[in-house]
Amino acid sequence: MREILRVDMSTLQVTREPLPEKWARYGGRALTSAIVYSEVPAGADPLGPENKLVIAPGLLGGTSAPNGGRLSVGAKSPLTGGIKEANSGGTAAHALGKMGIAAIIIEGAPADKTALYALRLFPDGTVDVVRRHDLAGLGAYETVAVAKGIEASEHRMSDKSSFLVIGPSGEMKMKSAGIAVTDPLGHPNRYAGRGGLGAVMGSKGLKLIAIFEEGLKPKQHADKDAFIAAVRKFSGALTTHAVTSQALPTFGTNVLANIINEAGGYPTRNFSSGQFEGVDGISGETMREITVERGGNVKHGCHTGCVIQCSRYYVDEDGHYMTKGPEYESAWSLGANCGIDDMDMVAKLDRKCGEIGIDTIEAGVMLGVYMASGEIAFGDGEAALKALDEIGRGTELGKVLGDGAEATGVKFGVKNIPVVKHQGLPAYDPRPIQGIGVTYATSTMGADHTAGYTITSNVLAVGGTVDPLKPEGQAALSQGLQIATAMLDAMGLCIFVAFAVLDMPEALEAIHEMAAAHTGDDWDVDALMQLGKETLAYERIFNEHAGFTAADDRLPAFFLEEKLPPHDVVFTVTDEELDSVYSFVPEVAEQLGIE
Amino acid sequence: MRVDVVLFAHFSGFQPDGKGGRHARAFEFEEGTTIADVIAMLGLPDEPRVIFVNSTHAPEEQELRDGDRLAIFPPVAGG
Repeated sequence: MREILRVDMSTLQVTREPLPEKWARYGGRALTSAIVYSEVPAGADPLGPENKLVIAPGLLGGTSAPNGGRLSVGAKSPLTGGIKEANSGGTAAHALGKMGIAAIIIEGAPADKTALYALRLFPDGTVDVVRRHDLAGLGAYETVAVAKGIEASEHRMSDKSSFLVIGPSGEMKMKSAGIAVTDPLGHPNRYAGRGGLGAVMGSKGLKLIAIFEEGLKPKQHADKDAFIAAVRKFSGALTTHAVTSQALPTFGTNVLANIINEAGGYPTRNFSSGQFEGVDGISGETMREITVERGGNVKHGCHTGCVIQCSRYYVDEDGHYMTKGPEYESAWSLGANCGIDDMDMVAKLDRKCGEIGIDTIEAGVMLGVYMASGEIAFGDGEAALKALDEIGRGTELGKVLGDGAEATGVKFGVKNIPVVKHQGLPAYDPRPIQGIGVTYATSTMGADHTAGYTITSNVLAVGGTVDPLKPEGQAALSQGLQIATAMLDAMGLCIFVAFAVLDMPEALEAIHEMAAAHTGDDWDVDALMQLGKETLAYERIFNEHAGFTAADDRLPAFFLEEKLPPHDVVFTVTDEELDSVYSFVPEVAEQLGIE
Repeated sequence: MRVDVVLFAHFSGFQPDGKGGRHARAFEFEEGTTIADVIAMLGLPDEPRVIFVNSTHAPEEQELRDGDRLAIFPPVAGG
């Protein structure tokens, strides 16, 4: 029986309760969203004691399911004002899964607003909350280093340890603050980045969560032989599909830079062009060449059980670790969107974001807006580094920049602010790639590419093809992918498995076979999609209660009015089509008995 | 006619000058040359490809025109 671990930061009491039967089929995002819907008042102050930070491994967390170690972190978002699930790699999800923990709910807030704590989970099941003022103001990497030192002195450290930490931006409750999660080597370089959840953690007075899993075994399965067979089937698909077996492990996610640029959808200089003349310098191919030459690692998984291995480390000229190989989104946001074509500068900016503890997408979109204001120039990496330093120091300027793209654009009078539901747009312009515009506009998360990754069919010819330049078929494409993605997030699977799942029927079968063999419950394709729909229903209704209407499911006007070169197109999907994406919610809500 | 050909990811090693890299090479082709003809000439591996002519998806049977930019990718994805 999985359990909920409830941590009350007002009293520092930790209690355990069985996972309610009604959520027995939920994990990951399904669980974080159901809990936030059920326990957080929609009108709550996101940084007040009524909000709750919910941390959940997927249903397959703690098992050997390939790519099954993703972590969901949920709350009401201080950035969007709606529900949020930020998804991260790293080793924490499997550790929690092995402990039998379905979710950690962190609620309340310390009466002493300056108090700073660490939450620690030990393999024998004990949990404590301890004061950690020595960590105040430290960057994410230093926080982990100091915490490891303390734990080592108390003989608790081992290689089997995971940390979730916030940087100074989270302590200062900035809206672009994320939560860093350590990877298999203990680097805090994986992020539940989006939506300001680091600020929610900071508002709870929590700097650090440490999870020690030494000696814990993977979870038992209802039918071990069937589970192993399903794992082999799934793994076979992932290691066969060209994307998941070749492109991603060789070049990482940033292999996308050239193809999105070629398609004319690579947002450049605050979304003013769809092609960047300096793309080669910040592409996945260039990153690989530089890293190989310097002797850096160019292929590993961000969590144990990953068979895709798209992670890599970026190293300096002397071969020393700088940061993770910047992901496609980060290389774009801190590169092309700022007019920066130098991979070393992108890596410096990425590392700086990692230290301060802010979302690299929001940071790069903010910098693009800041540059568009004329305060600093496009292409000026040193000025961008200084701007990030302002955030880390919490200066008056830094507090504006740290609240993200919209706050910065309003402050400096920028006309084109690329946000939906107050969250910065990721690395695909919605004018020449219309399907992703539907996802940005309608997602419960605010502008989010992962929520319904239509780039598959729009650009990459994965899962069929839908012409990216035309409005036809985009709403249906986005709806299907939003449902499927919510399901993958609930299972705890990496969304990159979708590239294989969309093209190979046996991969989708393997997911419900793993779920059934692990839990002993009945699972099939319909049940998987129902799980996705239920997750979205909780989120959509929470957002309605929080005040969102159809008017919030729209792109900023400039995407409908200003043509983007080189295709010279605007976004043309109609409001009616956008409003059709969540047409399934009333029926599902009625089934769930929620309103 | 003259066509710029650019190859990405592991296809970049198939440029006939043997230098690899992703910079466009200019080729002279007969009128009526199709994308499939270019793929055969380059000897690209027989696997799915994503092809753009002047930043728009193009089928392999499409005839090229003077001044076109032809970009060919192996299956890639990320996010």
